[in-house]
Order: sequence, then C-alpha cells, then structure tokens
Amino acid sequence: MNFEQLLFYLFAAALLGSALMVITLRNPVHAALSLVLTFFSGAALWLLLEAEFLAITLVLVYVGAVMVLFLFVVMMLDINLAQLREGFVKLLPVGVVVALLVIGMMVYVVGPGNFGLEKFAEPVGHSADYSNTKELGRVLYTVYVYPFEIAAVILLVAIIAAISLALRKRPQGKRQDPDLQIAVRKKDRLRIVANNPKGQPGSNAGDKK
Amino acid sequence: MADNMQNIYLTVALAPLVGAIVAGLFGRFISRSVAHTVTIAGVAVSAALSLYVFKHIVIDGGEPFNGAVYTWMVSDGVRFEVGFLVDSLTAMMMVVVTWVSLMVHIYTIGYMHDDPGYKRFFSYISLFTFSMLMLVMSNNFMQLFFGWEAVGLVSYLLIGFWYKRPTAIFANLKAFLVNRVGDFGFLLGIAAVLMYFNSLDYADVFSAAPMMADMTIQVIPGVEWSLMTVICILLFIGAMGKSAQVPLHVWLPDSMEGPTPISALIHAATMVTAGIFMVARMSPLYELSTTALTVVLVVGSITALFMGILGIIQNDIKRVVAYSTLSQLGYMTVALGASAYAAGVFHLMTHAFFKALLFLAAGSVIIGMHHEQDIRKMGGIKKYMPITYWTMLIGSLALIGFPGFAGFFSKDAIIEAVHLSQTPGAGFAYFAVLVGVFITAFYSFRMFFLVFHGEERMDKHAREHLHETPWVVTGPLIALAVPSVVVGAIFIGPMLFGDFFNGAIFVSPERDVLGKLGENFHGWFAFILHGLATPALYLAMAGVGAAWFLYMKRPDIPEMIKARAGVVYTVLEHKYGFDDFNDKVVAAGSRALGRLLWQVGDVKLIDGFVVNGTAKGVGWLSAVIKHIQTGFLYHYAFAMFVGLFALIALFVF
Amino acid sequence: MEFEIPKMSAALPEMFVLGMACLILVIDLFLTDKNRIITYLLAQATLVGAAIASLGYQFGSPEIAFNGSFIRDAMGDTLKVFIYLSVFVVFLYSRSYLQARNLFRGEFFVLGLFGVLGMMIMVSAHSLLTLYLGLELLSLSMYALVAMNRDSSYSSEAAMKYFVLGALASGMLLYGMSMLYGVTGSLELSQISAGVATAGAGNMVLVFGLVFTVVGLAFKLGAVPFHMWVPDVYHGSPTAVTVYIGSAPKIAAFAMVMRLLVDGLEGLQEHWQGMLVILAILSLALGNITAIAQTNIKRMLAYSTIAHVGYLLLGVLSGSDSGYASAMFYTIVYALMSLGGFGMIMLLSRTGFEADRLDDFKGLNERSPWFAFMMLILMFSMAGVPVFLGFWAKLSVLSAVVEAEMVWLAAVAVVFSIIGAFYYLRVVKLMYFDKPEDNTPIDSEFDVRVMLSANSLAILVLGLFPGALMSLCVNAFAL
Repeated sequence: MNFEQLLFYLFAAALLGSALMVITLRNPVHAALSLVLTFFSGAALWLLLEAEFLAITLVLVYVGAVMVLFLFVVMMLDINLAQLREGFVKLLPVGVVVALLVIGMMVYVVGPGNFGLEKFAEPVGHSADYSNTKELGRVLYTVYVYPFEIAAVILLVAIIAAISLALRKRPQGKRQDPDLQIAVRKKDRLRIVANNPKGQPGSNAGDKK
Repeated sequence: MADNMQNIYLTVALAPLVGAIVAGLFGRFISRSVAHTVTIAGVAVSAALSLYVFKHIVIDGGEPFNGAVYTWMVSDGVRFEVGFLVDSLTAMMMVVVTWVSLMVHIYTIGYMHDDPGYKRFFSYISLFTFSMLMLVMSNNFMQLFFGWEAVGLVSYLLIGFWYKRPTAIFANLKAFLVNRVGDFGFLLGIAAVLMYFNSLDYADVFSAAPMMADMTIQVIPGVEWSLMTVICILLFIGAMGKSAQVPLHVWLPDSMEGPTPISALIHAATMVTAGIFMVARMSPLYELSTTALTVVLVVGSITALFMGILGIIQNDIKRVVAYSTLSQLGYMTVALGASAYAAGVFHLMTHAFFKALLFLAAGSVIIGMHHEQDIRKMGGIKKYMPITYWTMLIGSLALIGFPGFAGFFSKDAIIEAVHLSQTPGAGFAYFAVLVGVFITAFYSFRMFFLVFHGEERMDKHAREHLHETPWVVTGPLIALAVPSVVVGAIFIGPMLFGDFFNGAIFVSPERDVLGKLGENFHGWFAFILHGLATPALYLAMAGVGAAWFLYMKRPDIPEMIKARAGVVYTVLEHKYGFDDFNDKVVAAGSRALGRLLWQVGDVKLIDGFVVNGTAKGVGWLSAVIKHIQTGFLYHYAFAMFVGLFALIALFVF
Repeated sequence: MEFEIPKMSAALPEMFVLGMACLILVIDLFLTDKNRIITYLLAQATLVGAAIASLGYQFGSPEIAFNGSFIRDAMGDTLKVFIYLSVFVVFLYSRSYLQARNLFRGEFFVLGLFGVLGMMIMVSAHSLLTLYLGLELLSLSMYALVAMNRDSSYSSEAAMKYFVLGALASGMLLYGMSMLYGVTGSLELSQISAGVATAGAGNMVLVFGLVFTVVGLAFKLGAVPFHMWVPDVYHGSPTAVTVYIGSAPKIAAFAMVMRLLVDGLEGLQEHWQGMLVILAILSLALGNITAIAQTNIKRMLAYSTIAHVGYLLLGVLSGSDSGYASAMFYTIVYALMSLGGFGMIMLLSRTGFEADRLDDFKGLNERSPWFAFMMLILMFSMAGVPVFLGFWAKLSVLSAVVEAEMVWLAAVAVVFSIIGAFYYLRVVKLMYFDKPEDNTPIDSEFDVRVMLSANSLAILVLGLFPGALMSLCVNAFAL
C-alpha cells in the first residue's frame, strides 16, 4: 500500500463516518459540522484525482458559503428533533433492513467485480504546468455551453422562486416605510388640546382624549 | 373535373343535412316559414345537382366516380372510409330520392299546416333525405350500414311523430324491433364480408368475390355451407327487414300511423326500396349463389301475392296503399331473384313515382275529409276534388299496369323475366305475380270506386267542408302524375335492354333473362302491343271489372261473401296470424325469457354477485388501499425505497 | 481541440422562450397590480411565438446540435407544440382564478414559462446531462408554483413533500445515469446506445443503472409505487397550478421516457419491458381502485392520472414504433382531458369556494346544462366510452400490447378500465340525477367558458375523427 492509497482510505473512511454522523447526531449544529467534514473529505479525494479546481470550489462554495449560512439558520431556529424522530424510530428496524440490503446490492454491483482497477486503464497523468481550471473552462464554454446555459437558468429560477416565496407582505407583520416616515406632517402626530383648568361649564374638550 | 364532381357529390349529400340541422337544432330561433324555406332549399339544391349528375353520368356517359372522401380510420389494414360510388344506378337513385323528397317537402307545407311539430317534421324529412343519399351513394359497406341505420332511425322517429298517440308509439316500437331482426342479419352479413374479404370497399369485395365462389364454411360444425350463400342470405335478411318482405313485413302497415307525407316518402318511394337497391348493388355477389337467388325469389313471390290479398279487406285508405306497397316490393324482389336486377330497379323507379303519387293523393283526400281515413265513410268525392281524382286515377292505372303507363312497362318486364327464368322457384313465382296482377287491380279499384264514386256516405258536416286542397298539395300531385305516365316508356329501352346499368349491375350470362327478353324488344310501342297479347293485361282488366261489379253494381255480394267465407275472412282479418304469432309467441316468449334472465340472471347473479358483489369488494379494497396514503413524508420515501429494492432484486439478481 | 460553432437556429424556440421569460420578469417589476394583465398577455404571446418558431422551422431528418446535447426531430416538435398549447390553455383558465384569490402575480407566469423551457429542454435532450438539467429546471419551477399560495398550509405541505421526494428521485436518477456513464463512457444518447450494444444486454451494471433510471422516470410520471406525491400535490396546490402540473409536464415526462429508454437504452428493452409491466399493472390497479374512495375531485383526478400513466406505460412497453405512437397519442389525449377536467373545477369555483368536492358537482345539469354536458364528455372520454377521444387512446395502447403478444396484459388493463369507469360515471350521475347543493349561478369569465367548451368539444370532435391526431403521432416515429 503506497502513500496515495493510504490517504484515499483515510479520507474515504472519514467521509463515510462523518456522513453517517450527519444523519445520526441529535444536535443539529453538530450534524451540520459533520457535513462540513464530509465535504472536506470529499474535496481531499478529488485532489487525489487531480481535480484541483473542483476540490477547491467545493471547499470555497460549500464549506465557506453554504454551510456557514446553513449553520446560521440552524442556530436561529429552535428545532425539536425528538418530535421529528417519532415516526422515524418506529420504522427504523424495517428501514435498516431495507437500507442494508440495498447497500449490499450496491456494493456488490459497484464493487471490484465490475469497477476493479484491472477493468479500467489508468488515466494519463499530467505534468505540473497543466491547468485544470483552463481545461475545464475550455470545455465548459464550448462543448458544454448548452448544459451550462441551462444550469444558469436553473439558478435564476431558484432565485426567483426563493424571493417570491420569502418576500411577501404579511398582514400582521411589522415593517418600516421610510416614505411615510418622511412624508409625515405635524398635524398627523400632534394635537393641541386647550387646557381649561377652571372647569368652566360647556367645555369638556379635555375629556375627549 | 373529378374534383369538381366530388364537390358536387358532397354538396348533394350535405345540403339536406344543413337544412335538417338548421331546422332541427335552431328551430327555436326561426319561424316556420324559415324552417321550410331552408329545408326545401337544401333538398332543391340536391335535386337540381342530382339531375346534373344524372346528365353527366348517364346522358353524357361520364366516368363513374368511385373514391374516398374521408378516411375515418385504418385498422389492421381495413380502411373505414366515407366514400362515394356514383354510377348509373346511383345516379338514378339520387334523382328519384331527391325529387320525390322535394315533392314531399312542398306537399308537407299544406299537410302539416296546423301541426305544432311543423319544424321538427321538416328537420326529420331533410335528415332522412341526407341519410338515404348516404346510403345510395356509398362505396363501402360501413357507410351503407350507416345510411341503413340512419334511415331506420328517422323512420322510427317519424312513425312515432305524433308521440302522444299510443298507437303511434306502438307502431314505431314495432318497426324498430322488426328492423332490429333484419339489421342483425345484415350486420352479420357485413361482418362475414369483412372477415373473408378483409375489406369493406365494394370494388375490392366484388373483384375478389369470384375467387371465393366455391369456398365453404362451417357455421355449425360438420355442416358445409357455401360462403357466398351465407353472405347473400344474411344480407338479404337485412333487406327483408328494410323492404318489408314476409315474414318481416309486419311493421309496414302499422307505420301508416305516421303522417302521410312520410308514408309517401319513406314507406313507399325510398327507404323501403333500400333493400332492393342493396341487392341490386350486390348483384356480383348474388350471381354467385343460386340458392340465395331462390330464397330471394320465393320470399318475393310470397310477399307479392299474399300481401296483395290482404289489401282487399282493408278499409283504411292508407292501409290499402300500404299493402299494395308490400305487394309491389314483392314484385321487385321477385325480379331480383330472377336475376332481372335491372327490371327490379326499373320497377323501383316507376313505383317510387306512382306510389308517392297515390300516397299523396290519399293524403289529399284525408285533408279534404278532415283526417278521416275510413273509405266506408267516403264516396262520390270526385266532384269535390277533381285534381285529386284525376291524379289518383293516373296513379292507380300506373299501379295496375295499364298499357302505356309507367307501371305497365316495369311490371310486365318482371312478369316476362320470371317467365323466362330458370332459377328454382321461378314457376311458383310466375304464378304468384300473375295472380298478383288481378288482385292488385281489384283492391286498387275497389278503393278508387269506394272513395270517388257511388253514394256519399260521409256525414253532413264533413260534406260541407269538402273541397279541393291548396296548390302546395295538388302541385306535387300533378308533378308526380307526369312521370307516373311517361317514365316507363322513356326508360324501358335503355334501362332494361340497353347498356344503362353496364358496370353497375352484373348478371352472369346463363341467367340473363333480360338479355333474352331484349332479343324480342323493338321499342316501347311494340312492347305495349306485345302486352296486349299477354294474360297479365286481361287479368288486370278482370280485376278492375270485378271491383266495379262488386262494389258499384252489387255491393251486397261482398257482404254475403264475408258472411259465408267466415274462416277465410278471419284468416285475412288476422293478416294470416303473423301479428298474433309475434305477439303471443315471439313477444310473450321474449318477455318470459327476459323475466327469467332478469330475475335469476340479472338480479341474483349479475346484480347480486357480479355487480354489487364486485362493487362491494372493490369499494372495500379501495377503502383499505386509501390508508396507504398516510400523508407522512417518510412513509412515501420508504415506499419508494421498497420499490427500488424490489426492482433491483427482481431484475439485477 | 477542434470546436464548431453549434447550429443555434435549431434551438430557436428555446432561446425565444428564455429571452421572453427574462424580459417578462423585468417588465413585471414595473407593473402595478392593475396592469398585471400585461404580464399575462406577454406570457401568452410568448407561447404563440414559440409555436410559430417550432412550426416554422423546416428540417428533413433529425438534427443534432450543440455537440450532441440537443436533438430536433418530428416527435420533439409535435410534443413541444402540444406543450405550448396545454400551457396556453392553463394560463387562460388560471387568469380569473388567480385574480379572485389574490394570487395574480407575475411569478406565476414567469415560473410557468421557465417550466415550459425545462420541458422543451427535456423533449429535445440528446444527452443525459441536458435531460437531467431540463428536468431540474421544470421541477424547480413546479416546486415554487405549488408553494405559491403561502397562506395555505395545504400548499406548503404539498410543496415540501414534492420537493423532498423529488430530490430523492432526482438523486436516484442521477445515480442511475452515473452507472450508465460508467459503463458506456458517454453522456450522449446515441453513443450510450452504441455502448450498450457493445457491453451487451446482460451487463449487470447497465441493468443496475437502468433500475435507478426507471425509478427516476416512474417518479416523474407518478407510477406506482413512486406515485405518493401525486394525490397530495394535486390536492394541495391551487387548482391553477394543479392543472399546470397535470397536463404539460406529463407530455415532457413521456418525452423523457422515450429519450432515455428508446433512444438511449433500446438495447436493454428486455429488461425495462418487464419493469414497466410491473409499474403499469400496479398503477392501473392502485389508481383505479383508490380513486373510487375519494370524495375530493382533485384527489380523484390525481388517482385517475396514476391510472392513465399505467395505460401510457402499456404503449411504451410494447416496444414497437406503433406502440410508441400509441403512447404518444395517449399522452396528448390525456393532457387534453386533464386540462378540461381541472378547468371545469376552476370554472365552478369562485372567491372563497374551490368546487373541488365531488358533492359540488351535484345537480350541475340544473345549474348549467351546457357545462354539465361538457363535463359529461370529459368523464366519458376519460372512462374510455366509445366515440370519445379517450376510447381511441385506450384502444390504440391496448392493440399495441396485443401486437406485442401480451394479451393477458391487455385483459388486465381492460378489467381495470371497467373498474375505473365507475368513478367517472359517478360524476355523471351526480351531475344529472342528484339535486344541487347550492344554486349560486356559475360566475366565470367569458374566455374561460369559450375555452372550456372548445376543449371539451375538441375531445368529442377528435373522437369522431381521430385519424388526424393519430397520424400525427404515427408520423412522429415514421422518420
């Protein structure tokens, strides 16, 4: 076993273990942090495959941006996981059996019998000045320009969907309206009340308050 | 040119449909006069174009048209199409149908003047004209069947037009049921054609038929039947229903419950002749089966003779004409059976004119008599209704085959053809048609004398109001009287002995009786002279004479005969017992069987076990399965995983 | 590396719809609620324009563009035109419905158009990547549309379920696609087809990938047991969204099935045929039987959709060109009927009243004989009563199955369609033989009435003359 293989097994184990932790840990913050670890391990595996650009993007985008945002949300909401898990526990035994069976079959099919090292030629290595980023960019804007454009549209739709669902005027919601604040006049807010200390008859303006 | 003609054919068929739709669906929004104007205009367009088509095909010798207008669907290589086959036979039928229909449309303005269902009536008769045109213009069995059923439907609607009368409802139900029997045979026949020829197109079937001539099939295991005989007889059963041949004739007399214009149009001139037309159209098939021709011949001669006899004892003016129609349809059928298709169709044409004339004239009498139809309460009407009198006389003379009138040529040709025919059963048929001539003359003039001559037997009130009918009634009478006189002389040469029907009707040489007859044919006038030497004319004269003697001179003799010949009279009174048999055996038997099936089969087995049982079972199952849909997301996801697992387990390992 | 500029003109309709959708998005920002109708009109104009662009482009044989990502063929163009047509009708039905519920917002139409774009991409996809991206574009638009009515807890629940299950199904589909890529080494369908031929139908990984792919497809179609989202989503969404989901996306899903299973994996037919048989029978059984127990007509139609998917699969699994044509015919017919059925619910609804219970159809004949008749046409057609269009659709898939020598399967399908007839005819019974529960006059816009009548009458008329539509479908596979 050379060093590369050692690293592979190390990160692969970390990836599986942390992924398992994401769905089993009780504390949502811990689960989210486990997911961060999963991404890191994945990025490391990609580095081993000489996919540097993807690995770094994964860390930057998912770990740096998405997961941080996710953690914010998790921390702001007080989620009671115990309640969510009620039904989950009931089905757990059957679920575990089915999951194990499916995993077993997957391992059998995807395992060395069909995807062993001897089945595929080793990819050609590249020299140190080879730019992964440049090559990706080249095919992305030529051969894959059509899927690339569609992906862009998907993101646009995601933005529209998110905004249209989140941004709305609740009748009971409280919000500021600077327009109205500026346009306010004295008479809207202030009322001069004539004070009549002697309590003359016929004048009860003071009571109107 | 072909496209042009195709458009004309389409217009001929569709113009009456447009009229029917306007008057039928939008009747609420239009006035009575608009309704009749639209429908008459539609039929008039058809009639004018039909004449043009007739000129194009027959006189100018244009190419017959055979083509699909619209392909409805193609299934298993069988094309279901709407298409037209327009040759001389079709062209002739188109002219007859549209012109008689036009006359009837006009006549209806007068006859139905006070009827609340005025617009409905116009809609129906236009719809009928459309259906009949689809039937005669068809180039395939599917459209033929469509037209066949459509005319049946309209006939049903019109017989029950006065749907508040229980007798009318009974009559239309009867017509409907009896025609179902015929249509069942017809449909089986078409199915057999489809099964063995794998096509519904006339041309395909006719060209393939000679190869099938010797084919036999086993309908009942162990019994070999000729395929052609089976197909032809099945199709003829359809014709028996539609053209009222014994024993499926029982609906036609009762159909007189409908208004008189439709009796003229549907139950005399056009629809009832659809069966005759169909057999003539299918002549390439019938020529392949002597057995089928014999059946046709015998059924026709029985109808011609025995239905005529019943005409003698009828007292309802329309029923007399109805029985004469039955008898004449028998003549046509006899002609078909004797392979003299052209003679049958020729008689169909002349009959259409003079029988429509007789019906309309009878209708005119009925209008004059304020809807009294009993001839015993008439008499001496001649002086009140001269136009009706003379036209009725022309019609009657044409009917009995008085020399020179249209009916003479066609009927004499049939009698001569049967005389020459070698088809088994021809001997009996010849006897039947000869005796039929006497009987026809007798009952026709019995009615004629009773209605128009002799003492006035109507009550005083009726007599005061008796007067000639308006021009919309008499106009069509005169218009129909003209062809009733002349069409025979004009067309006998080309139609029977010329090449009029070449390509439309096929007769095998050894059965070509008309061809043999034609060897001695030297023009229509010679035909009349020849007619003077045949027994038919003298039998007819004897019939007229007997009618005059018995009903004008010695009216006491019929009464005496009636009293003496009790048994015979009772048999006739009961119309040979067909109706009683149908009522007591067929109908009662069906009802008993129906009740049995209903109580045991339906209520217990089907309703109790199959329907309610399965419905309950399914309902229960449904309520159980409904609970699978719990609404919980993880149940759904779990179901998906189980599905995935099952598929992998089944297909990968 | 050589690179050719792709032939852009082949994708003109897609580009037009994308451009217009973005334009409408921007224009909508500057409109007040009073002028919102402009958004609606522009959206409709976009669909009309796209139809012109699709129909106006002449090509001989199928054209592949964008380096094998995109294909333009007769089947695709026919399906696209019916997608435009369906969505046009959906928008038309929806306008007054949305206005009455304060949901008349630009996003509905913009997301609707993006969904159309997604469907077009799926229909024209020629690689696994575009197929998947088109699907995601469509799904994302639909998730958002379902959740559009934020004040309804039903809608939110439905959207959530749809989203989670959809993500799960997408994951399975992607996993299956990765297997296919792993064996054949290509994303392009024609090269996958070649790769399958090389690897042979017995290749275990291919079959494994196929199972996951079929599961993904079954989810999108709503075939049992991947159907669970259908009733909840149909029920929970605003009816305007239900009619959208229930019509055009089915056409796109059919295209996806054809692209993946026929264009790409025809070599594995012996395997997917068996899978589809199971899915079809389960869908027919569960759809038809469960529909009987429903009291909500939207749920009932949802289960009827599941059953219809079963028939559609029958056509596909027969595995011949005539079978594919019959499935395509069925899909289009189903979309037309579904539009009419949900359209009728929208027609009867009014502010504060959804008309989505079966009881709301009681005595419709007394309230409006015309629309009762229209609904009768729709129900008869769905039940497959002869002369109506639905009958021909059922007949054609059944005859395809019989041709494929699976008579027993056709018999099973007939039995379930008889069971299915019950709940369609029950609606007819309610309309004609029961007393109405409320006698409020039907309050609906003129254009909706006209469109709905045209929709139903089209089903009647096309049922009398099914030749034209059928030959359109047959021709789609003749090239």
